[in-house]
Amino acid sequence: MTALLATEHLTMRFGGVLAVDDVSLAVADGELRCLIGPNGAGKSTLFKCLTGQIKPSAGRILWRGQDITGLDSFEIARLGVGIKTQVPSLFDGLTVLESVRLALRRQARERAARAQALATLERLGIVELAPRLVALLAHGQRQLVELAMVVAPEPDLIILDEPTAGMSAEETTRAARVIRALNAAHAIIVVEHDMQFIRAIAKTVTVLHQGRVLVEDDVASVLADRRVQDVYLGKADASPRMVA
Amino acid sequence: MSGIRLPIELAAASFVAFAAILVLPHVLELFALINATVYVSLAVLALSLALVWGFGGILCFGQAAFFGLGGYSYAVAAINFGDTTYAVPVAIGVPALVAAALGYVMFYGRISDVYMGAITLTLTLILFNFVNSTAGDQWRVGAAPLGGFNGIPSTPPLNLPGDPGNPLPPEWIFAIAVVSLLICYILAKLILRARFGRVIVAIRENERRAELLGYDVRAYKLGIFVIGGAMAGLSGLLFANCVFVSPTMFSLFYSGQIIIWVMVGGLGTLVGPVIGAILLNLLTTWAGTLPEINPSLILGAILVLAVLVMPRGMLPSLATMLGRFRVAGGVT
Repeated sequence: MTALLATEHLTMRFGGVLAVDDVSLAVADGELRCLIGPNGAGKSTLFKCLTGQIKPSAGRILWRGQDITGLDSFEIARLGVGIKTQVPSLFDGLTVLESVRLALRRQARERAARAQALATLERLGIVELAPRLVALLAHGQRQLVELAMVVAPEPDLIILDEPTAGMSAEETTRAARVIRALNAAHAIIVVEHDMQFIRAIAKTVTVLHQGRVLVEDDVASVLADRRVQDVYLGKADASPRMVA
Repeated sequence: MSGIRLPIELAAASFVAFAAILVLPHVLELFALINATVYVSLAVLALSLALVWGFGGILCFGQAAFFGLGGYSYAVAAINFGDTTYAVPVAIGVPALVAAALGYVMFYGRISDVYMGAITLTLTLILFNFVNSTAGDQWRVGAAPLGGFNGIPSTPPLNLPGDPGNPLPPEWIFAIAVVSLLICYILAKLILRARFGRVIVAIRENERRAELLGYDVRAYKLGIFVIGGAMAGLSGLLFANCVFVSPTMFSLFYSGQIIIWVMVGGLGTLVGPVIGAILLNLLTTWAGTLPEINPSLILGAILVLAVLVMPRGMLPSLATMLGRFRVAGGVT
């Protein structure tokens, strides 16, 4: 079966530094995949390559078997990829409803977009925020509004960059629940470094270390893996190289 | 934004425009009427930057370049054709084309905001210096001498379409200027209400998010930039009809002033910059009659005061005072 999103020997070099080094991975339709690794493992660089923010130095990125290497962010989004950034990226001067409508505007008619936007807000339990100005929302609400913008157009794949950054333990638990629920309808890639969170959501985990794939397996095996423990506890040569 | 607000705003704008056309020519003396026409043409210029900067988020120091290009294209075309009918589309088309070429390089080249300011300012200065140095008979486009720092004093006034023997009187030119301003305002309103305009505002708010939602930010920015360029060209045409075209149209004086009109009037609104342009021009003209004071000093003082007292500009501050200020993006 053709993977939904795959990378082949993906490499990103910044001067003499190999931030992503020959990474090949494949994510299937409907899968929930975690990309983890300690600081400097190359997660963020890989995220930027996958979302079209930077062009890889070598290797290919495939979407349903088609080469999409080097496409711009907006083109990748149009394929049906929803992207959530680490720090919520929002339209501060607009209302919540208008923001979500903008996420839908490319594909739906005006009236349908409004109804669908409200339905999405309803689904995430924040429909009462619809008329509020985004700038005035609390941090947790902002996270949900961004999520609403990402899921509203029903993307085939959602890529989340460190969704639990800055969250309390309780919020993290809730986020894990939300992500599992979303996985019923969308394939998801989560870039994270919080192992507890990974334990709560993941099925398959890809561990990155120094830009390379260290292990790729189900969550229990990964957590039990000696090499992974070494990398996280710093026994192996885990000192991060100069990586952006 | 409620559904009935737009028609009310458009009706109010139309009422003011037609009242001005009916009343002012009877009240004002000829000289004052021509001055009023100049102010209206500059209000169109302010409106163009209000759209590009206030909504598109593109701080363009080059609006004067499109203004000057519009004026010169009009004058050159009108002299060569011997008729202004086709000079009008030329005056709007040339600046729009230049804006398209410049915008393409800037937006598709992913040039950052700071450089964009520098590039647009540079273009204006290059044009200013170039046109200034076109004195002498070798500098002519067809039958039209460019005239160096003297400009083209023989800039012909508009005539009825296809009737070059009948140049329009100043009352007509005034009416045409006011109607042009009204049309530009209505057009801007409709653009901002349409999908295109909503995306433009979204891009101003967060370019990256707009891109992650699948919008080709470059194309949208280019679109609003070209519209702004065309509008500035129209303003140059109207200006050329009241005065005549000269290199000062490209000068720093204008590039700087447009920004002041928009800031003082209210960035992110349409009516604010229009009112700002008219009021500040009235003020500088009046200050020009005072023997002791340099009008530029007054303008500078107003800018500093405005930034300190009402940082969002006249119109939003006024609206806040009246308690009617709604969500940003909804107020235009």
